[in-house]
Amino acid sequence: MDTQKLKDDTQKRMTLYALTSRLMMKEVDDAFLDAIEKDEAILGMFPHYKTWQKRTELDRRTLTDQYLNVDYANLFLLHLVPYETFYTRDDQMIESGFGNPVSELYDACDFKVELEKARVVSPDHIGVELEFMYMLAQAELNAIEAEDKEGVCELLQIQKGFLHDHLLEWAPMFLINVKRESATPLYHDGAELTLEWLLSDYEYVNETLQAICAELQ
Amino acid sequence: MTKMNREQPTFVESRRSFLKGTAYTVAGATLATGVFKAVAETPAEAEETRFTATPKTLSFYPPLEQWDSFKELDGNDWKRGGVGRNGVQNEKNPDGIKVNEFMLVPTVCSNCEAQCGLTAWVEVGEYKRTKNPRDLRVKKYMGNPLHAGSRGRNCAKGYASLSQMYDPDRIPFPLKRAPGSKRGEGKWIRTTWDEAMATIGKKIHDTLKTGDEMSRKLFMYHVGRPNENGFGHRIPHSMGCDGYDSHTNICSAGARQGTLQWANDDRNSPDWANAKLIFLQSSHAADAGHYFQQSAGFIADARRKGAKLVVIDPRMSNSAGMADLWLPIWPGTEAALYLYLANRIVHEKDRNGNDLINHAFVKHWVNWDQLMKDKEQLALMVSKGYISKMPQDDSYESFVELLKELYAPYTKEFVVKECRIEGYEHKLDELFEMFIDAGDKIATFLWRSGTIGHRGGWMNTRAGFLTLALRGALRGDIGGTGMHHWHVVSVNGKGDAATVAGKRPPRVDVWNELAWPPEYPLSSYEMSFLLPHLLLDDEWRKKWNAKGLQVPEKLAVWVPRMYNPVWINPDGFRWIEALKREDKVELSFNLSPTWSETNWFCDYVLPVGLAGERHDQSSEPTKPAKILAFKNPALRVALEKNGWKPKDPTRATLEAHMAAGLGEIWEEVEFWANIMVHHVDPDGSLGVRKFWASKEDPSRAVTIPEWYQAAFDHIPNLREAAKRKYPNSKYPNYEMMRDMGTWLVEDNIYKPQERPLKKVGNKYIAHGHEFDESEVEKDEFGTLLVHDHVFGGKKPIGVEVDGKIVQGWHSLSGKLEFYSKWFAEWKWPEYAVPIYPRNEKERKEMVHLVTQVHHDFMQKENEFALNTIFRLPYNIHTRSVNSKHLMEISQNHNPVWISTADAKRLGIKRGDAIKVTIEDTVSGLESGYFIAMAVPTEGQMPGVLSCSHHAGRWKLKNAVEIPGFKHTLGVMGLGAPLYEMSMDGKVGTLKPKQGLDKGMQERRDSWQFKEFNKDLDNIWWDGLSGSWQNAVAAPHPDPIAGNHAWHQKVRIEKAGPDDQIGDIWVNYENNFKVYQAWRDKLTRPLAPGDKLRRPVHLKRPAVPLTLKAYSVDIKA
Repeated sequence: MDTQKLKDDTQKRMTLYALTSRLMMKEVDDAFLDAIEKDEAILGMFPHYKTWQKRTELDRRTLTDQYLNVDYANLFLLHLVPYETFYTRDDQMIESGFGNPVSELYDACDFKVELEKARVVSPDHIGVELEFMYMLAQAELNAIEAEDKEGVCELLQIQKGFLHDHLLEWAPMFLINVKRESATPLYHDGAELTLEWLLSDYEYVNETLQAICAELQ
Repeated sequence: MTKMNREQPTFVESRRSFLKGTAYTVAGATLATGVFKAVAETPAEAEETRFTATPKTLSFYPPLEQWDSFKELDGNDWKRGGVGRNGVQNEKNPDGIKVNEFMLVPTVCSNCEAQCGLTAWVEVGEYKRTKNPRDLRVKKYMGNPLHAGSRGRNCAKGYASLSQMYDPDRIPFPLKRAPGSKRGEGKWIRTTWDEAMATIGKKIHDTLKTGDEMSRKLFMYHVGRPNENGFGHRIPHSMGCDGYDSHTNICSAGARQGTLQWANDDRNSPDWANAKLIFLQSSHAADAGHYFQQSAGFIADARRKGAKLVVIDPRMSNSAGMADLWLPIWPGTEAALYLYLANRIVHEKDRNGNDLINHAFVKHWVNWDQLMKDKEQLALMVSKGYISKMPQDDSYESFVELLKELYAPYTKEFVVKECRIEGYEHKLDELFEMFIDAGDKIATFLWRSGTIGHRGGWMNTRAGFLTLALRGALRGDIGGTGMHHWHVVSVNGKGDAATVAGKRPPRVDVWNELAWPPEYPLSSYEMSFLLPHLLLDDEWRKKWNAKGLQVPEKLAVWVPRMYNPVWINPDGFRWIEALKREDKVELSFNLSPTWSETNWFCDYVLPVGLAGERHDQSSEPTKPAKILAFKNPALRVALEKNGWKPKDPTRATLEAHMAAGLGEIWEEVEFWANIMVHHVDPDGSLGVRKFWASKEDPSRAVTIPEWYQAAFDHIPNLREAAKRKYPNSKYPNYEMMRDMGTWLVEDNIYKPQERPLKKVGNKYIAHGHEFDESEVEKDEFGTLLVHDHVFGGKKPIGVEVDGKIVQGWHSLSGKLEFYSKWFAEWKWPEYAVPIYPRNEKERKEMVHLVTQVHHDFMQKENEFALNTIFRLPYNIHTRSVNSKHLMEISQNHNPVWISTADAKRLGIKRGDAIKVTIEDTVSGLESGYFIAMAVPTEGQMPGVLSCSHHAGRWKLKNAVEIPGFKHTLGVMGLGAPLYEMSMDGKVGTLKPKQGLDKGMQERRDSWQFKEFNKDLDNIWWDGLSGSWQNAVAAPHPDPIAGNHAWHQKVRIEKAGPDDQIGDIWVNYENNFKVYQAWRDKLTRPLAPGDKLRRPVHLKRPAVPLTLKAYSVDIKA
C-alpha cells in the first residue's frame, strides 16, 4: 500500500468530516467562519456562500446573529429533526436511551459521546455521526502510522459499515431537506457538500478496501 | 427554500474528487467539536437491565399492577451514556445511573374544568431507605391512561402541576391580616389552621345562632373554578344558608340560558369523535377550554376519519387556522347567521328532492304542538310581524309553513350585512354545504365567546340549537350533539351516609337577594359579579326592602374558594372598594393555594392543595359517557401506603404535607368537616354538626375514607367492582378510587331521552322516585305529569312519543322546546322562539337581543368592538401565575390584535402602545382606558379588536415579611409585575413599577423547594406587556340570562408620551352607573302580583330551596 497517499487521503478525509460535523453540530462562531473563509479551498466548497453579497456587506456579528444562526436554529432545532432514529423508526421517535443503535456501536468501539457538550439529545445526531467518522479516520491514521495494515483494514471496514448501515441510510433524506429549507447559502451549500461528500467517501472507502485489503478478506 | 441563482459546474464536477483536488491547511482537530471521549473500559457493574429509556409508543404507561413500585432511569441517563456504559447507581458504583423508584398516585388536573386524569410520580426509593418523609418528592406529573376521556394525555397546564406544586412563592402556612392593619395594607402574620378555624368558626356560629331569616343570608361561599362535583354546594346547604356564589355569570351563564330554554339542561354535550362536522363558535374545545385536550383529542380522531372543521370567530385562533372553513363574523351577530341556516334548511331540498328538515325528529321531539295550540302566543307573533297571519290549523304541516315564514327574512343579503361578511359571501354557501353534508352528525359546544360576550348572547344557543334540531343533530345520537346531564356523575357532596345525620341536609328556607336579585328572576346562575355593587347600592336595597324583601346589607363571612374576583371580574376597583369595607364584609378568607390580587384584601389566606394535594370527585361531559375521576393528595397516599399514620385521621392530608415538607397545605374536605364539627357547631345546637360528624365516631369529623366510601356507594358498578377487588377492606370504594383515580360509570350514552321510562309493576321510576301509575296523568301533548311534593302543582317525569312512554328531556314538556312557554309567561313572550331583529328599527325595539357592541354603535373610524374572552391554551385565569413553565410561555403578555387594514389606516405599527378607551352603549358613559401593545395581524376581523383577559396580572409588593419568620414570602414572582395603585372612591389607577425579572432576581435564591427552583436566574420575561383591562370594563348584566356581557365598545388612539403599557385609569363611579343603567333600563323585575321569585322548574344551582324560599309578595 502507498502509505503516504493513504495518510494524505486520511488526513483530508478527517478534515472534511471535522468540517461537516462542526457545521451540523452547533451554531457558527467566528473561529469556524474564519476556518472556512480563510481557506480558499474550503471556501470553494461553499460556492454560493462565497459569492453571497450579505457576507461582505454585513459585519460578522449581524451576519451570524440575524442570518446564519437563525437559519441553524430553524434547520437543526426547530423545523427539521437531525436524528437517525427519527428517520428509521416507524413511529419517528428519537431513541435517546442506551438502546440507540449507534450508541451501542460507539460503546463497542470504546467511545462515549459527551452529549451535553454536543448539546444534542441523542447520539445519533447528524453532527455526532459525522464526528464519529472523523474519530474512525483518526484511528485509521494512527494505524497507518503504526504500519498496522490489519488495523487499517478493520477500521476501513467499520467505516464502510457505519456509512452503509447508518449515515447513508438516512442522512441523504435529511440533507436534501436541509438544502430545501435552508434560508442561507452556508447551509444550502453545506448540505450539498455533506451529501456529496458522504457518497464520494463511501466509494473511496470501498475502492481502498478493494485495493489494499482484498488479500486480507 | 433558498433560491440559488446559478449552479457552479466546477463544484458538481469536483464532488467525486474531494481528496484529489483540494489542499488543506486546517487540521481536522481544530475544526471538530470534540464530543467523543475515548473510554478505557466499561465498569464491571454495567449490566443488562430491563430499563428502556424510550418506550415503543408515546402512549406508554406502566401497567396498573406496577403503579406502587415502578423503576425508571433518571432523566440524566441519556446524557451520561446509559446504564450500558455506567451501570446502575449503588453503593459500589456511586457514579452509575440513578434509578428512581416511583409510586404512581392517580389524581386529576385542577387547572381547568376538563378534569383530565393525572398520575403523580412520587419518588419513594429514597424514603424507603431513609424513612424520612422529607425525602418524598413528586418528580413529574403525567396523564392517567385509565381515564376514558383524557386517555393518558394532558396539555401544558396538566404537566405544569409540578411547577405549581414547587412554586417558590407558594403560600407555606395560613396567613392572617396583621392586627391593627387595614385590608390591602399588605401586613401579614403567620397563624395556624387551628386559630383560623376557631376565629372563623366562632364568627359563623355567632351569625347562625340568631336563627332568623337574615342570619341565613350572611354567609357566602364564592367559588372560582370548582373542579369538583357538589362538595362546595353542601357547605352553605348544611348550614341552612342560601350562600353560594359561583363564577358562572362571568363564564357561561349566557350559553346555559339558551340550553335551559330548549331542554332545561345546563349545557350541550357533543360526540366529537364520531361527528362529520365539528362546528365551533370560537376557539373553545379545539384549542382552549371548555374541555380542551380531551375535546381536541376527540376532534382530531374525527378529522382523521374525514370530519370537517368549521370555526366561526372574529379572531383567527389556532383552531381557525387549521379549520376547513374559518368564518369571521361581527361578534354578537351569530344568531343571525344561525337563523340564515335555518331559513335555508326549512326552504330547500336535497339532491333527491327531499326536505332538508328531519321531519321524523322534529315532528316527534320538538314541542311545535304547544305553540300551535297557543293562540295568544301566535297572535303576539302576528302583532310583532314575525308572521303575517295566524296558521290555518294546529297541524305539523302548518307549523312547517310557520317556520318558513318566520325565517324567510334571514336571507343571504341580510346576513352578509348583519354579520359584516361583505367580500366573502361565498363562505356562507360553503358553510351551508358542509352543514347539510354532515347530516345529523354535527357536533358543537356553544359556550363562551358570543354566548357570554353580548347582551342577548343566550340567543346564540337558542338559534344555534334550532339548526341542529331541524337536522336531527340534537338527538344526542352517534356523532351528534346531546345534553350534559346524562354525561356526568356527581357524588362529591354525597357522603351523607358516613355522617351522624346519615342523610342529605334539608332544603333551605331563605332566598339571598345578593346572589339572586329580583331584577333577574331567570338568570341562569348567581349574579356573583355584581356582589360588590349590590352590597354598596343602598338605594337599591332600600327600594326592595320597601317592597317587602329583606335584602342583606352586609356579609358576615365571605369565602372565596380558589377564586380571584378582584382580578377576573369586571370593575375590579369596585371589588376592592367593597372588600376593604369591614362593615360590608365583616370577615373574609380565601382558600387559595397561591397569592392573588383578591387575597391581598382578605383577612385570612388559607393555603389549600393543588391537583395532587387534595381529594375531590369530578366528572365532565367530554364524551357521551359518564366518567368519574378522583383527586388524591400524592404525598399522603405515598406515605400511607408505606405505613405512615397520621396522629389525627381527620387531618391526615394536612399532617402528611407538613411531614413531607410541602408546607401547611390542607384540603377543603377535611377543613370543612373539622371546622363545622369543632367550631361552627361544637355542641350540635345549630343542627349543622350532625352533617359533618362521623357516624363511626361522633366525637370527631368524618374522615376521607369514610366520606368517599359513602359517596362512591351511589355508583352500583363501582361499588360491586370495589368489593370484588378489595374483599377485606373496610373502605373498598375509597381504596379502589385511590388506586385507579378514575371509573367509567357508563359508556356510549346515546339518545338517552328515547330510553323507556322505567316501570316496575304498576310503578314508574323517575329521578330516583317511584310513582304509582294511578298518580300519573298525561296531558294533551303526551307529557306524563305527577304531583310535585316540594313546590305543588305538576311536574313531568316522562313523555309519550310515537306511542312509547320514554324518559324525554328535562324540559316541562319532555321535548325540545322550540317554543318556551314558561319564558313567555315570565315576561318575555316576544323572545319565546328563536328570533333575531331584522332591521335597525327592530334592533331598537328588541334591544335585549342586540349586542352592546353592534356595528350600529361604531360611528367613528377609531371605534371598535373589543373581544376579550378568548382563552389561551396554556393559561388558567389566575392560577398559572404560580407556574414558571406556563409563565415562561405566556409572560403575562396580552397584546391587542388589530387587523392590518385598520392598523394601517390609523398609523399603528406592531409593538406600538395604544390607549383603549371603553364606552358604554346603554348609558353613554366612559369607563376609562388601558394602555396595551398593538399587534396588527391578518388574523383579525376588521372593525374588531381582540385582547384576551387571561393576562395582565399585578401585585403591589414583591414580597412580604412575616414577623418571627426568617424568610420573606415572595408574591407571585413568576408572573405578576409590580404596580402602583391609587383609588379615591371614584377613580382608580394602576401604573407599572418594575418587571418581574428584576423583582425575582433580587430574591432568586428561593428558600423553599431550592433544588426545583435553582433555575430562577433564567427568568428573562418582565411581564410588562399586559394590562389589567378587566378593571376598566364596566359590568354589563344581561337582563335575562344575568351574565356579564364581556365585550366592550372601545375607541383607540396612539398612547401619549407619558403613557406606558400596563397603565390603567378607571372611572369606577361611572362603572357603577353603567351597572345601574343596564339594570334599570333593560330588566323586567319582579312586580306586585308576582308570587314566585323564579320558575320552580328552573334549577337553583347549588343549594336546594323550599317553596317558602321561592315565594314572594312584592308590595306596590
